[in-house]
Amino acid sequence: MSFSVTEPNKGTKWFAGVLVVGYALVTIAPLLWIIATGFKSPADSIAYPPKVVFEPSMEGYVNLFTERTRATEDMLEAAGEPETWYEEIARDQGTVISGPSRYGERFLNSVVIGFGSTALCMILGTAAAYAFSRFRVPLKDDLLFFILSTRMMPPIAVAIPIFLMFRNLGLNDTHLGMILLYTGVNLSLSVWLLKGFIDEIPIEYEEAALIDGYTRFQAFYKVVLPQAATGIASTAIFCLIFAWNEYAFAVLLTSGTAQTAPPFIPTIIGVGGKDWPAVAAGATIFLVPVMVFTILLRKHLLRGITFGAVRK
Amino acid sequence: MSDFIHNLLRLRRGPWEMVASVLIALGVAMLMQPFAITLYTYSFITTLIGTVMFIIVSHFPE
Amino acid sequence: MMKNTPIEKIASATPDNVARHIRGLSDRSIAWIFVAPTIFLLLAINIFPLIWTVWLSFTNSRVNRPNRDVDWVGLRNYERILTDSDIWNTMQATAHFLIWTIVLQVLIGFMLAFLINKKFKGNDLWTTIIVFPMMLSPAVVGNFWTFLYQPQIGLFNYVIAFFTGADPASFSMIGDVHLAPWAIVIADTWMWTPFVMLICLAGLRSIPGSIYEAAECDRASKWRQFWTITVPMVLPFLMLAVLFRGIENFKMFDLVVQLTGGGPGNTTTLTSIDLKREAFEKWRTGYSSAYAVILFVTVFGLASIYVKALNKVKER
Repeated sequence: MSFSVTEPNKGTKWFAGVLVVGYALVTIAPLLWIIATGFKSPADSIAYPPKVVFEPSMEGYVNLFTERTRATEDMLEAAGEPETWYEEIARDQGTVISGPSRYGERFLNSVVIGFGSTALCMILGTAAAYAFSRFRVPLKDDLLFFILSTRMMPPIAVAIPIFLMFRNLGLNDTHLGMILLYTGVNLSLSVWLLKGFIDEIPIEYEEAALIDGYTRFQAFYKVVLPQAATGIASTAIFCLIFAWNEYAFAVLLTSGTAQTAPPFIPTIIGVGGKDWPAVAAGATIFLVPVMVFTILLRKHLLRGITFGAVRK
Repeated sequence: MSDFIHNLLRLRRGPWEMVASVLIALGVAMLMQPFAITLYTYSFITTLIGTVMFIIVSHFPE
Repeated sequence: MMKNTPIEKIASATPDNVARHIRGLSDRSIAWIFVAPTIFLLLAINIFPLIWTVWLSFTNSRVNRPNRDVDWVGLRNYERILTDSDIWNTMQATAHFLIWTIVLQVLIGFMLAFLINKKFKGNDLWTTIIVFPMMLSPAVVGNFWTFLYQPQIGLFNYVIAFFTGADPASFSMIGDVHLAPWAIVIADTWMWTPFVMLICLAGLRSIPGSIYEAAECDRASKWRQFWTITVPMVLPFLMLAVLFRGIENFKMFDLVVQLTGGGPGNTTTLTSIDLKREAFEKWRTGYSSAYAVILFVTVFGLASIYVKALNKVKER
């Protein structure tokens, strides 16, 4: 290996590595703690000192997905033998399962609203980004700044008129309303990111296609779209994550039918106090998909969080 | 420094944007400082002037 | 101007028989068709509500009493907000949160980026792990931090007690008037340090190695290189990170509302939480609209500086 002054020496690398790994372990600890708490029994979850080694239990997950009622000895006798493993867990706590909880519904709402708004956002965003990238749009810079600034607005401040508007249109607490709202919020991000990705595609490809007799539309979807596929995919994941995580609008504008998981998870309570394993189980199921997406996105993270300004 | 004033008089974008940015920053600082409520009272108008000015001067030539 | 882009050059040079194949809509109308839906949706979801807010801010409207007459009150709402010392206190709570989160995140984030840039083995893997907190739902994370902050049983209290020897049940991060403002700073720093780190890392990686080689030839010490090359080159990126975190934390809502709910007392009532109470609990719509306009203008002002910083970094 040739000598280079910019290449750090071995000792420096070791030192840096140890410090960074140390920080990573500290920063990941709360997350691991959430995941671990989901598999604890309620007693273990509030034990002192905090238990690192514990007997895994599915109680948290059972409590998360079911509604239970307290049962007397006689009622337990009358109910007969538990038929499934989750009924058995409920019986051990002296309760019988009375039905599914609302967590499944809320989670599904998150999925529907997340994917719905992402799809809409990508359709509108790709078209707008292509136009901004390739055509001379009047007042282009002002429009782009205006698009960006809509994202900067404090959600609570925007929520006041949105609330009134949705109430007049009958969109409060509906999936459609939330999908439109999240599309509006995420559009700025998708336009800015996609414009960056499309800018990077050499214009010569389209010129060649145009000379071959393609129309503009054909050139757009046969040449540009396939070229921008990676960019579109990562932008979509970003929009999905933001819609997935959003809380302020969800808590103010939904209460029942269209409520997503983030406002719901903190309201999970058990019998006689907060049921931490159930909350942790709900959080785990909700957060793990995002972690998976983060790993998929790692090459484009910087672009996503800086509106495409930093490319690396 | 004299360049700065010169470009200011010629209505160039750079220095004017600087002035507007400083006004906005000043307004934000006045909004959140813990020293005098009078400064807090006039913070909004300062930020507003700075912001409007920024929008206008960003259309000046480079 | 017209003939500047290559496509237009080609179009004008294209013979007629080829041009007939390039039929369909003109570029201009395609541009409009492509941009219009986006602009329309943004007008409906963002601009129309914004104008409505401004109008409401000059009235004494209360949406929970639809039968009451709405009167035009001019600037009175603004006057009341801008002389209200409670809201001023809220702003100061926000400032405390803002300043300390930025200071901590910049210090830790820059340090981490500097270390990761030493390119030790496996740095990609560890960077991804460090980035996790930033991508998660702030509300869910905030809710879970209340568990970590529990006196006695909480992991955070246990760790602090383990290292300081204090009784873990003797202090409550979210129940104590003096500790609560720091509880939200710690949680936010945990969550958003990776953001600053990533941007700093991009800044560090944009510095060409040849500059250091030249400095080495001039026998500049490592310390001097750090202050005369590394810091100035990363500064525009740092600026970007600071402005962005500043704007985000100025309007912070989800994490803190779940963590402390604004309490104890009003010690962690940030502006967005205060605004939510005025607008959706007390239903003083006109008054809270004026409040919202003040936040709007502040954020809008900061955003224009942000875009300026963005363009500066883009040029690199």
